[in-house]
Amino acid sequence: MRTNDAQTAFVDRLNRHRGILVKVAGAYCRDPAGREDLVAEIVAQLWRGYGRFDERAAFSTWMYRIAVNVAISFRRTELRKTRNVEPAEPAILETLPSPPDARSDDALALLREFIEELDELNRALMLLYLDDNSYAEIAAILGISETNVATKIGRIKQRLKRDIATR
Amino acid sequence: MELEELKHLWNESNRKLEASSRLNTLLFAQWNLRKADTLLKRLAGGTAFELIVNLIGIVLLGWFAADHVHEPRFFIPAAMLDVYAIALAVAGVRQVFELRSLDYDEPVVAIQDRVQRLKLARIRATMGTLLFAPLMWVPLLIVATRGLFGIDIYAVASPAWLVANALFGLGVIPIAVVIARAFGPRLEHATAIRSLADQIAGRSLAAALDDLAALRRFAEEG
Repeated sequence: MRTNDAQTAFVDRLNRHRGILVKVAGAYCRDPAGREDLVAEIVAQLWRGYGRFDERAAFSTWMYRIAVNVAISFRRTELRKTRNVEPAEPAILETLPSPPDARSDDALALLREFIEELDELNRALMLLYLDDNSYAEIAAILGISETNVATKIGRIKQRLKRDIATR
Repeated sequence: MELEELKHLWNESNRKLEASSRLNTLLFAQWNLRKADTLLKRLAGGTAFELIVNLIGIVLLGWFAADHVHEPRFFIPAAMLDVYAIALAVAGVRQVFELRSLDYDEPVVAIQDRVQRLKLARIRATMGTLLFAPLMWVPLLIVATRGLFGIDIYAVASPAWLVANALFGLGVIPIAVVIARAFGPRLEHATAIRSLADQIAGRSLAAALDDLAALRRFAEEG
């Protein structure tokens, strides 16, 4: 059985990397209630795997792998129906509304729309790329070669350019 | 707008969002994380329950078959049902093991490949159960009436009646497929029935195969 110390350490690490939760949940679920469920699901799976976490590895890489895997599974109806945990009340991750920024909002809406049109795996790739992960890190998280990562990112960039140009 | 500029805006926006979010640590402490460790357990639990029911069926059928080993008219249907139950049990055991060994901390493509293969196995097992069930109706009738009530159905019903029932079971399969293909897509609000219809019609299998093919293309493309 894991001790309270392990739980404290886990919560501390999770808190430092909560941005990953925000980004992954935001990219895979637009509905706020669903997003809360997804965050709870990711946190539950992170805790489930925490005992096996290799301390030599980067926590963020490990967290991204689990978060993306859970998010993809969550999107698929079958797993959504067999929800892991009851939705937490209030939410595990509380987000305060931020003031609108008209200058960037349009551009971000365009980017979000573009990301949403991507399939689940390319969406993960784009998310990791936007989050400034190196090709090697992206390859390690997704389990594909760096060359493959580079090729796919190149294609996505081209597609995004075309999308921007046509709007 | 250039991609780098978009990327910058994206990261800025996420930084703000991250700064305005906080992990509810108090709630976290109260939240029983051990209880949360149940997604795969629950899935495996459902399959395990089916497995227990199957195992009881296998034992009872084996018992019945052994009791009637010198009476082929009872032994053959019991053996058919037993083989059917064993096939379901084997598929169930495989699923429970696969589910229990699933770790989300492996690379995304590898895990999604396993999840997808697991889904395929589940769909195939359900299709097998649904499509073979009508064929098992007559053997079940023979065994159940004998085993539960001591009635020899061969003495009560005419052979023609039994043959007609077997043929009906056979006929039900294509009819079920046709109905599922025609009406399944219209059942938008009846999720469970729609899911069943999709499995009988083969739509679930086709979709799962497509997803698996897309996943493999994603992994292989250079």
